[in-house]
Amino acid sequence: MSSILQAQNVEKYYGNKGNLTRALAGVSFSVEEGEYVGVMGASGSGKTTLLNCISTIDTVTAGHIHIDGRDITEMGRKSLASFRREKLGFIFQDFNLLDTLTAYENIALALTIRKRPPREINARVKEAAEMLGISDVLRRYPYQMSGGQKQRVAGARALITNPALILADEPTGALDSKSARALLESFRRLVREKKATILMVTHDAFAAGHCDRILFIRDGRLFHQLPRGRDTGKQFFDKIIEVVSLLGGETNDVN
Amino acid sequence: MSIRLALGNVRKSLRDYLIYFMTLSFGVCIFYAFNSIDSQQAVMEMTGSQMAALRLISRIMNTFSVFVSVILAFLILYANGFLIKRRKKEFGLYIILGMEKWMTARILLFETLFVGLLSLFAGLFLGVFLSQGMAVVTARLLGAGIGSFSFVFSFSALVKTMGYFGLAFVLALLFNIEMVRRQKLIDLLYAAKKNESFKPPRPGLSILIFILSLCCIGLSYKLILNNGLISSQGILTVCTVLGGAGTFLFFFSLSGFFLKLVQQNRGLYLKGLNMFVLRQIAGKINTAYVTMTLVCLMLFVSICTLSSGMGLADALAAELRGNTPFDATFFVRASDESPESAYAGVDLLAIARERGFDPGEGTYAAVRAYAADSPVALLAEGAEKTVYPEFMKLSDFNKVLELQGIDPIFLGADEYALNSGVRNERWQGMLAAYEEGGALELAGKRLRAAADGLYAYTTEVSSIKDYTIVAVVPDELLSDAPIKRDILHMNYPPGDGDCEKRCVSALLGFAPEGFEGSLETKARMMEYSHSTTTTIAYLAIYLGVVSLLMAATVLAIGQLSEAGDNVDRYGLLRKIGVEDRMIDTALFAQILICFGVPALPALAHAAVGIRAASKFVDIFGEMNILGSSLVAAFGIVVIYCAYFFATYAGSKRIVNKEYAHQRRIMENE
Repeated sequence: MSSILQAQNVEKYYGNKGNLTRALAGVSFSVEEGEYVGVMGASGSGKTTLLNCISTIDTVTAGHIHIDGRDITEMGRKSLASFRREKLGFIFQDFNLLDTLTAYENIALALTIRKRPPREINARVKEAAEMLGISDVLRRYPYQMSGGQKQRVAGARALITNPALILADEPTGALDSKSARALLESFRRLVREKKATILMVTHDAFAAGHCDRILFIRDGRLFHQLPRGRDTGKQFFDKIIEVVSLLGGETNDVN
Repeated sequence: MSIRLALGNVRKSLRDYLIYFMTLSFGVCIFYAFNSIDSQQAVMEMTGSQMAALRLISRIMNTFSVFVSVILAFLILYANGFLIKRRKKEFGLYIILGMEKWMTARILLFETLFVGLLSLFAGLFLGVFLSQGMAVVTARLLGAGIGSFSFVFSFSALVKTMGYFGLAFVLALLFNIEMVRRQKLIDLLYAAKKNESFKPPRPGLSILIFILSLCCIGLSYKLILNNGLISSQGILTVCTVLGGAGTFLFFFSLSGFFLKLVQQNRGLYLKGLNMFVLRQIAGKINTAYVTMTLVCLMLFVSICTLSSGMGLADALAAELRGNTPFDATFFVRASDESPESAYAGVDLLAIARERGFDPGEGTYAAVRAYAADSPVALLAEGAEKTVYPEFMKLSDFNKVLELQGIDPIFLGADEYALNSGVRNERWQGMLAAYEEGGALELAGKRLRAAADGLYAYTTEVSSIKDYTIVAVVPDELLSDAPIKRDILHMNYPPGDGDCEKRCVSALLGFAPEGFEGSLETKARMMEYSHSTTTTIAYLAIYLGVVSLLMAATVLAIGQLSEAGDNVDRYGLLRKIGVEDRMIDTALFAQILICFGVPALPALAHAAVGIRAASKFVDIFGEMNILGSSLVAAFGIVVIYCAYFFATYAGSKRIVNKEYAHQRRIMENE
């Protein structure tokens, strides 16, 4: 296994000389190919900043981030845009589906904007839909789907381009528990069957419980890492709760 | 404080205001220019009757200005409404920060005032220049000379423009203040969050409706082309209803149909952002088909009035040149009360001399036209039976030609010739019959059509071109025929400017007891025709441009408010990795199609309409529809394109705003 993502001493400062805010204070970690990694932390801990830096939406102040062997902190704006398009897949909390397009078209759009030949699109959309269990809603518009279905359509859209790394920002945040479970299970399937690499930011311990490994962030530093190892779901979940209570503050959010 | 905020707001949202500003400026400019016509006499050298004509034109323009000002006021309110809608949140913020509602209203007042004043002055500035150029055109159209250059400025037009537009602004202002006053804070703050109900089109039904709409439009085209504009009222009504309904159904079903069509072609549909753009437009047309229909019809009216109005003016001017072969024509005939048979003929030359004008000063031709009892019935089968030609002796006809400097024509003893100044539809049957060698029986003698005996000479000064069709026959055959009228054609001696005056004073309105007389002179016709052409041309341009402005503004604002609603969609495209260039292209395509979709049916309608109209206008003479259409098309394209690009710039700004804002923050760090 080679590592897909490597973060080395990533620092991020906001503000100017008189008033500096340190959002990330030297975070280092790596994610291997086919790994399902969760990032947890309280509000303001820097987890979203970290995700933004990795997803090239934001730039780092110091340190390096290598994705699929390339250092994104050294790239220009133009190559960043194409890098983002070719190597990364995104899943957002609020789905971000186009309301004017059907599920099928929303998924296909990810390929058409990458100028893939139209004849390969159909088969790939069908395959991705199959993988996420949404084959029967492909002809529907977003307003005709449930939240879970919408998020799985967004998942299919992120996955269909075979990105090196899928970044998910609170994907279960807007879902009820049943939909959340279905979504998380389909993520697992992606990792198992398609060897996808997923980095998921969440503050939901239940969602984190599906991951292979969890990074805990506090005050801009990597506070703790928790690998799943041979734990059962229940054991792993209990350990997560333990760490979360140590992180302080966020125990109330665990549901 | 309010003034500073207002100024800042205007400066900040200059591009938002662009469409508003453009519409206002164009409106003011056109309004001023067409209301300042009577002051244009400053640069012209005119006769008294030309002056009267100018005043008449000016009065007509003033009358229509009331109508135009209502339309412009509507446009101002419409554009203003869009601006306010976009800024609801900002006003909500002012109020939440503790500003009184009347203070917010005052900011709005100053903003409206600034933009209003700015566009008023810009429009007046343009209008003054336009009226300067228009003075030259007016002079040419009226046939007046251009005197020494002087600056044309109409104070009354200025006051009037300011008055009318001031009123429109006050209306806009009241509207704005009422809006702020009545809105609830929650609605102001969450104005942008309101969900648009998205209705996907139903393809199956729309294909059916689309075909039906094409049938309607095609049928109305066929009807109008086959029957022409001078068909019965019933047919015209049917055409209008069919065309209007067809256009409506066309836009109603277009999105569904088009979507289905492109979806069939997966290579095209699944390429780049095509899918997205298509859905955008489909969604737009799907909800805005009424607006689309109105815009299409307004464009249609605009294209038609501009090109056929200018074409008609051209035709009238051109016809005049061909219609005045002499300086004057005077004729006398039996009056309507006394039967034609009672007319025994008069000596026009003697009458003229008696009344103090001697045609012998210049050159003249006194000729006679005869009536015949039932000549037409003898023409070949299929000829128009109800039209009676005038008969003229060969020698008389040659006199008429000689006066114009044309070589005489020759006829065999059993031949006749036909002359008609214009190949009008009314004469078509008769002319066709002649070409087939149709015979004519007169005074017991059968005449055959002379080879090449069909002439198209203009034989008198007359205000209507198709007044006569003349059958020319050997002299002796008409010796016993009833006389229809006596005609005196005159050319004045060269360089004698007084001659016209004396001729008019001697013969105009004069008729021997019991008869009817008519004098038409070249000079009088020129003036009459000039004022007619000018009126028609100006009216056409005025109304055409205003309806074009209306169509373009409605479209532009529709698109801009659409862009506002679309910020989220475009932002989302960015999030999933679409490049800026691709987004700009998609936006461009979307707006281009939205401007093009109503324009294409309008063009087709106009092409058919103009074809029908040009047949109608043929009565006045041949219409050079192509030339004037091109000029009109150029003007239309310029204005339409200006609106298109302003819309594109505005939409791009709206769509990019949030994103650019984020990026600025990032780059500042």
